Amino acid sequence: MIGYVEGRSPLHRAHPYTTLTLAGAVLFAAFAMTEPFTVWLLVLAGAALAATGGVLRSSARTALILSLPIWVLLFVLHGLLGGGARVAAGPLSLSATGVARALVLGGRVTAIVLSFLTALATTSPHRLVEAMTARGVPFGRTFLLASTLTVLPRMRERATRILEAQQCRGLRLGGSVAARVRALGPLALPLILGALAEVDEQVLALDVRGAAAADRRTALDPPADTAVQRMVRWSLLVLVAAAYAWKFIRMRG
Amino acid sequence: MTALVSLAGVTFTYAGAARPALSGVSLDVTAGEIVLVGGAAGAGASTLLLVATGLAPRLVGGRLTGARTVAARRCGIVFARPWTQLTGLCSTVLDEVAFGPASAGAPRDEVLAAASRALDRLGVAHLARRDPAHLSGGELQRVVVAAALALDPDLLALDDPAAELDPAAADALYAMLPSLAATGTAILLATPDVRRAAGVATRAIVLERGAVVADGRPAAVLPVTEVGALARAAGCPVPYPYDVPALLARVAPDASRRAHDTSDAPPAGSGPDTSGTIR
Repeated sequence: MIGYVEGRSPLHRAHPYTTLTLAGAVLFAAFAMTEPFTVWLLVLAGAALAATGGVLRSSARTALILSLPIWVLLFVLHGLLGGGARVAAGPLSLSATGVARALVLGGRVTAIVLSFLTALATTSPHRLVEAMTARGVPFGRTFLLASTLTVLPRMRERATRILEAQQCRGLRLGGSVAARVRALGPLALPLILGALAEVDEQVLALDVRGAAAADRRTALDPPADTAVQRMVRWSLLVLVAAAYAWKFIRMRG
Repeated sequence: MTALVSLAGVTFTYAGAARPALSGVSLDVTAGEIVLVGGAAGAGASTLLLVATGLAPRLVGGRLTGARTVAARRCGIVFARPWTQLTGLCSTVLDEVAFGPASAGAPRDEVLAAASRALDRLGVAHLARRDPAHLSGGELQRVVVAAALALDPDLLALDDPAAELDPAAADALYAMLPSLAATGTAILLATPDVRRAAGVATRAIVLERGAVVADGRPAAVLPVTEVGALARAAGCPVPYPYDVPALLARVAPDASRRAHDTSDAPPAGSGPDTSGTIR
């Protein structure tokens, strides 16, 4: 499940900037961490974030599905084919440093994916738009960010409608791999062409409604921002900066 | 009266198209007019709306020749498919309708008041707190029309606005147009639903392959299109029979009068429109 999920959790109620800063902090912190232990602590932090947002189950499942192929690839690339000292794991001979490397890289990917899925699931695009509008961000940039957050759910809905329509016309989705690949055509073409055609019309409709010319839109219902949340955001920025400083100090040392 | 939109010999060709979608169109639309733009599918009615509102070629692309003067302070447009006209960023119908006024930077109270008035006008005030994504096509179409009205446009272009509406809602939408026009809004209405539209239009123009072939009072012009439709259904090649009396009226008025006096003259209303202009 990717996309916003209605809820009343602390993350849902938080200012959208706070939620996005949390996800961004995990992203940058992941690259500052170089040890498997610290990276997997970050994964736990991402899981805690998802639990706080009440979306642990769905976010963790999707993060697992998205990360699994990367883990397998990293394990083969670094664990099996990597150099250095070898350790036996049953019938397999693994590279010790390679496994550590795979754990770091895989952990980073998992932490980032998990935290961003959580941010997506708990940040209402509408509240984000209102927050950005209240801060005077030009609508073009606001639309770009908010529509990026909503593009996956919208494409999924459209794909479902197209699949149902094509199945009514006799499209069979089961069978061999080749048959499944062939079935992609009747889905992908209408999905992409339809989306492009609708975007054309949406651009016209938005333009007429003044979206392009809006110098300063009126925020109708801007989300509340508190001193505590502002402090949390600044603290996260400082922490991330400190993590990078520590990383570079260690690299030089 | 000053025209809100004035087109003089406008020809518009879409990028990559072999022939123009509009050809030598001259048209003045003044405040308070409800202009029904008729014609067969592909005749250029939707394109005329895009050109009149200034969206073509500015956003649509293509090439426009001729003169276009837009005096309208603000234009609104509604397309047939309501779901393509949503911002996709609003969680309630009220926010969706308020999007236009909010973009204009009006104070919050004014924005909300304009949105509420527009919703009231379309009879969908009860949907204000609903999520637009969860509305039916008909409800959504009325919300989209309300969103256009909330902008208080001088010129409102409606491209098949009742396509998603049930008969009662379509009747209500068309019934609302004269009161809107009475406030000074000019309305350009492209629709195949000629029967309903003719009841409210103050003027009708008929397009044929991008060119205006008739322009006048709906009662005088629209039967011509019905003859055209019959001719088309019968597989007659162009020019359609209604072009014949029009041509006679222009080149040989006496012959035209004699033709109308004969017993096998076309049914009343299908002849040339003396109140308007048949081109």
